[in-house]
Amino acid sequence: MKARLAQLWRSMPVRLALLLVLLFSTVSLLSLAASYAVTQNSFEAAIRADLEQDIAGFRAAPNAGAVALLVDAESRDTDPSRIVLSYISPNGRLFGNGAIARDDEGYHIVSLTQDRAEYDGAYLALTIPLYGGQLTVARSRAQIEALGTVFLNILLISLLPTVLIALSGGLYLARRSKRHVEVIGHTLDDLTDGDLAARVSVSPNWADDMIRIGNKVNQMAGAQEAQMQMVRQVSSDIAHDLKTPIQRVAVHLDDLARLVPPETEGGILLEKAQDEVTGIASVFQSLLQIASVESGSPKSHFQPVDLNQLCLTFSEVYEPAATASNHSLIAEVPPEPIKVKGDKNLLGQVIANLVENALRHTPEGSRISLSLKTQDEHAVIEVADNGAGIPEAEREKVLRRLYRLDASRNTPGNGLGLSLVEGVVKLHGGTLQLLDNAPGLKVRIVI
Amino acid sequence: MKLLVVEDDATTATYITRGLREEGHTVDMVSEGREGLILAASGSYDVLIVDRMLPEVDGLTLVKTLRGTGNTTPVLFLTAMGSVEDRISGLNAGGDDYLVKPFAFGELSARVAALSRRPQALEQETVLRAADLEMHLITRKVMRAGQVIDLLPREFALLEHLLRRKGRVQTRTMLLEAVWDISFDPMTNVVETHVSRLRAKVDKPFDRELIQTVRGAGYRIDG
Repeated sequence: MKARLAQLWRSMPVRLALLLVLLFSTVSLLSLAASYAVTQNSFEAAIRADLEQDIAGFRAAPNAGAVALLVDAESRDTDPSRIVLSYISPNGRLFGNGAIARDDEGYHIVSLTQDRAEYDGAYLALTIPLYGGQLTVARSRAQIEALGTVFLNILLISLLPTVLIALSGGLYLARRSKRHVEVIGHTLDDLTDGDLAARVSVSPNWADDMIRIGNKVNQMAGAQEAQMQMVRQVSSDIAHDLKTPIQRVAVHLDDLARLVPPETEGGILLEKAQDEVTGIASVFQSLLQIASVESGSPKSHFQPVDLNQLCLTFSEVYEPAATASNHSLIAEVPPEPIKVKGDKNLLGQVIANLVENALRHTPEGSRISLSLKTQDEHAVIEVADNGAGIPEAEREKVLRRLYRLDASRNTPGNGLGLSLVEGVVKLHGGTLQLLDNAPGLKVRIVI
Repeated sequence: MKLLVVEDDATTATYITRGLREEGHTVDMVSEGREGLILAASGSYDVLIVDRMLPEVDGLTLVKTLRGTGNTTPVLFLTAMGSVEDRISGLNAGGDDYLVKPFAFGELSARVAALSRRPQALEQETVLRAADLEMHLITRKVMRAGQVIDLLPREFALLEHLLRRKGRVQTRTMLLEAVWDISFDPMTNVVETHVSRLRAKVDKPFDRELIQTVRGAGYRIDG
């Protein structure tokens, strides 16, 4: 929850919405406060004017007695919750509907809440000395008090919906743009992972800047794909165009072999040349195969592959070869069927390459295991040996094309086996890991 | 057999043609797809050997057109491309087998022989024989010169495959495809190790070798 909130806060539309809400609220509050102050002042002024008028009425009385009579008479008709009249005569008698005795004169605010229910809240009182006594007229400030509530209501009615609408709008926009950003993000991920055909499906409903970014990403991906395509095309054209001449060389060497007796010096040289040609042909074949696998086109004919059967077949195929070179090859295949969608021949080539690598690069007496299992719904194929292994620093490098460890320069192989393995595993959406088998190497494939 | 080679690279074409003629086949050779199609359509060939990349009418179109006319002559495609899809598209177009350049002549010759309609041992036969070797398919018993030979299931399958194609060369890749149902390119001599195990049981105790190694090609059992 906290993480989600933090994430929300980092979203640009939410920030903009919050900022706008804050700005709008501040402005609204300020203007409301100003109008409140103005209204309150004018109310206050009106009450003062009324008070002056009231007082003026009493001043018209000729003496203290008349004032007292007038006050009493007025009090009878006056609602004390509106107007409170009080006259303290020179001899200290109290007239009126409320008793307000003040030391000071002039305007002041009084609260008459104590014992009598008809008095209500705060009053604005004007006290003057009159004929030796003290006259106070107080008018209720209830209207002004009510003004606060009115303004509070205005505030709530106008501001709250605005805040809510702005916030939910911001959230909606945030989620929308988050989706759009995610669409672009996914495409970039796919591109990074090597799927150069990935494109942002830009929708016309998107915001203009998003559409522009999406189109730019697509443009970039298109250019990259075209370049890759060209490089692939060139390299497979080269490989392809060289195969016919290689075929010719092989033909000529074959013809030569008919003329040169095998056990002579010439015959031995010839045989070496033929072996070299076979090696060159296999490098080209591997390069073409890797190019084809990397282009992703074998995906079009993927079918369910029975990995149990595949592992058992290959361990059986290699078992006599392993025995002949004093290795032990053990297959650990579970009874329950494990199937993946894929290309049987390519997956078979992967197992073959890994087992051949293990046979080639481990000393006599080494133990090689080919195991199959499932882990979290994934098929896991492991080929492990207890040979010398690969130093950690070299493990990344052995996946490079034509790379060979110094230690294995003199063993057969063209340095393309693991590149093909990696390509095929990627084609199947899997991962390839070279791990330490302590001692030895463990190659783990998860599909 | 009467064969047609459609191949535009002169060196390769001459090489194939000469080799096949030396083996006693009658071979016609053309370097261009259109001409190849006209000749092939005559229907007088036992096997067609067609390069996929040809000027004008390419190999795929040639075979597709030919199949469209109802002609079912077996076709062996030759190609410089060797990816799985190329193979599949070739087979989908109506090709029967596929050989990737550069190839050894032995491989070509063995595959041409396998494609020909020469009758092989009939499916319903229950006993396969070669010289003094007998294979009883129902009881799954193998005897040579009166002695019982114990074979593992895969050794039995390997021997059965060779016996059914008595007198014909089977290459290593053909054996891998037929006996193990896998098509891949082994760097090591896996097939040799299986054959040598089989030999140790079938040939070694006896004075005559039945399983012959054909240099540059594969293996063959002679009758």
